[in-house]
Amino acid sequence: MISYEMSPQQKQIKELVHWFAENEMRPISLEADRQEKVPDEWLEKVNRMGIQLNTSSFVGSARSGDTEKSAKKKEREGNRLAVIASEEMAWGDPAIALSLPGPGLGGPPVQSSGTPEQKQRFLSIFTKDKPRWGAYALTEPEAGSDASGIRTTAKKVDGGYVLNGQKIFITNGGRASWVVVFATVDRNLGRAGHRAFVVEKGTPGFRTTHLAHKMGLRANETAELLFEDCFVPAENLLGGEELYASAGNRPSGFQVAMKTFDSTRPIVAAMAVGIARAAYEYTKAIVKQEYPKHGQLYHQAVMMLADMEQEIDAARYLTWEAAWLADVGKANAKEAAMCKAVAGKMALKVCAECLELLGPEGLDGHLVEKLYRDVKVFDIFEGTNQIQHLVTARRLYAPYGVHV
Amino acid sequence: MISFQPTDEEQSFAEMALDFAIKHIRPNARLCEKERTVISDIAQKAVELGFSTLELPESWAGLELPLISQVQIWQALSYGDLAVVQGIPGAGDAASLIRLDPDAPPLQAYKDLGMGRDSWPPVAFIDVLNRERLYKSDLTLTPSGSGYVLNGTSPPVIQARTAESAAIAAVDDQGEAAVLWLNHGGWQVKEGDFRLGLLAAGLGRLSFNEYHVGAEEVIARGQAALELMKKVENRIRVLQAAKEVGLMEAALNYVVEYTAGRKAFGQEIAKFQGVSFTVADMAFETAACRHLVWRAALKVEEEPSDSLGTSLSALYRAHKAMRFVTDSAVQLLGGHGYVQEYPAEKWMRDAQAQTVLYGREKDLLMRRGEKILETAKEEIR
Repeated sequence: MISYEMSPQQKQIKELVHWFAENEMRPISLEADRQEKVPDEWLEKVNRMGIQLNTSSFVGSARSGDTEKSAKKKEREGNRLAVIASEEMAWGDPAIALSLPGPGLGGPPVQSSGTPEQKQRFLSIFTKDKPRWGAYALTEPEAGSDASGIRTTAKKVDGGYVLNGQKIFITNGGRASWVVVFATVDRNLGRAGHRAFVVEKGTPGFRTTHLAHKMGLRANETAELLFEDCFVPAENLLGGEELYASAGNRPSGFQVAMKTFDSTRPIVAAMAVGIARAAYEYTKAIVKQEYPKHGQLYHQAVMMLADMEQEIDAARYLTWEAAWLADVGKANAKEAAMCKAVAGKMALKVCAECLELLGPEGLDGHLVEKLYRDVKVFDIFEGTNQIQHLVTARRLYAPYGVHV
Repeated sequence: MISFQPTDEEQSFAEMALDFAIKHIRPNARLCEKERTVISDIAQKAVELGFSTLELPESWAGLELPLISQVQIWQALSYGDLAVVQGIPGAGDAASLIRLDPDAPPLQAYKDLGMGRDSWPPVAFIDVLNRERLYKSDLTLTPSGSGYVLNGTSPPVIQARTAESAAIAAVDDQGEAAVLWLNHGGWQVKEGDFRLGLLAAGLGRLSFNEYHVGAEEVIARGQAALELMKKVENRIRVLQAAKEVGLMEAALNYVVEYTAGRKAFGQEIAKFQGVSFTVADMAFETAACRHLVWRAALKVEEEPSDSLGTSLSALYRAHKAMRFVTDSAVQLLGGHGYVQEYPAEKWMRDAQAQTVLYGREKDLLMRRGEKILETAKEEIR
């Protein structure tokens, strides 16, 4: 049955996360942006509360073999819970949300492709005693949207691999206890040569060389990582040699990277929706409070607000649909790309229109200008808007055998 | 629980509608346009399959389907052709009025007429309640005794040319709303000179000259009329928006197939990102609208008195998106998009006519926006 009503559990999660976002995140939002850092004591505190950013909920969808099995089980709602929670978190503050302890974007590949031993080893460290992070390192200076062009090399040696290369734009990359790093064993093999490794902090030859200063999301760490003759033991090859052997010539390392996107894009889209909603609600209150009740300005404002509202709603429902598909074990690559494309673009437009409504005063110490700076990257990371168009188009043309 | 899985019943009904749309409606769309009516073969089949009674209450021998089920069926039907769907004979938009007030005495004569026939007589539905007077010829409603006197000409509405009854919602000279149901003809049909679109839907105007409306033809007055029409309009907006989604789906799928096969500069034009990205945009818009329409369909029935916003938003976005999607379809077919050997040009014309007939976009937006501000809190969070 078609329904846009949240289940009691979904409602409860939404309310809980919203409470946290409103009372714990918002009060430090502008200050964290100014300091370009989420205060350590705050992170310690929320970690003790057990609050984490966990994007692994999408994992089930990444395992095609599980489809039948999961369909027989009780309906899962983890993916819907994840997008609902992500929207609220980002409503509070997206930079702080992305800085919350937890496996972050590194979670899905470990969950979906890791061996049972690896899952235990890497995912069990996120405990309440101390905040810890995981990270995901794919992008390189010369390989962004075209992830198949990565140049970081993994040379097989006795007992493991030696990594050499550079990764950029890595969220929480410097503070992470481990990073899922994508590298190639042979560039001539193209995608088939890709492997995913879990590289632990402190591994000799692995270091953070730079933390980026950005337009927005300033409180969230974006690192450049360098691998210089960095030895990674064989047990840190994600999925083990078997995963790649059994895949034959299929580009399974690349698939690990791509499948991750089916999981993380709806989360990122949900965050964009949360940011847009934050700007919209903030602006709506100011319009209500400060604007005249009739005349040209009033009419402009009501039309802009109504337009924003439906844009936000539509993007949210697309996000929910991608999450629902994952929950019921159906392929969601197209819908994941669609919701990300729509939400990323919509959210920037909404923030820009909110700034227009606030006028020049909005530039001075208002949340919305920060949200505008923060939100731009949601149309870039986890696949640019153009890549989402490409993924969507490929899926649309696939039935006709045309590869675009 | 958030879910996008239609029920088995909805799925099979929608599949049947889609099958009818593809096998019967689409192949006859041009002919219907040329004949300026839904040809009897199609009309008869549509009626037989129950498509003209989806909204009618069971007490009227209708299917009384929930809106969420209906929107899926209308989407599927309109995948065939919007103009034909709009011209399927029956109560049309007035079905929503019947649905919400089935026992209203002025409706009983129409009910008796319809129940005794194989099909429901066509009704012209004229809703000028929210329309400010623009043209000198606009309808005027003057209280007279216990009834009214009608003068002037209605805006163009569908099924005007064949209408046996007319439903009219208007504000009288004294500023009071009224909903009327006229069964006895006596108006003049102005067939006009329509060329843009929805030409199979019987577009025309009804003209009244000192037309006396008796008290027995008045369904509601004043606040009751406003309340009734608020609910009727919500349902109509949702149903019309659903039809628009169906047209968008038709245009999207047609363009995907066309651009996958058409070659230029030595390759399928789909391989040019100027083409494939536009197609992706069409898919985004179509999917976004489908959600807003489905959401509104549920909301309108869950909270009939508090669903104005969702129906306004859904129709606003559908209008805007449908214009974009059908224009893109013509554009991506290039010259072929512009000529009548291909369906795209017709879809674009029908879409534009549809948006004009069913509410100004800016008006829909403004009304929703006013409601937003009315209920907004001043507290900044």
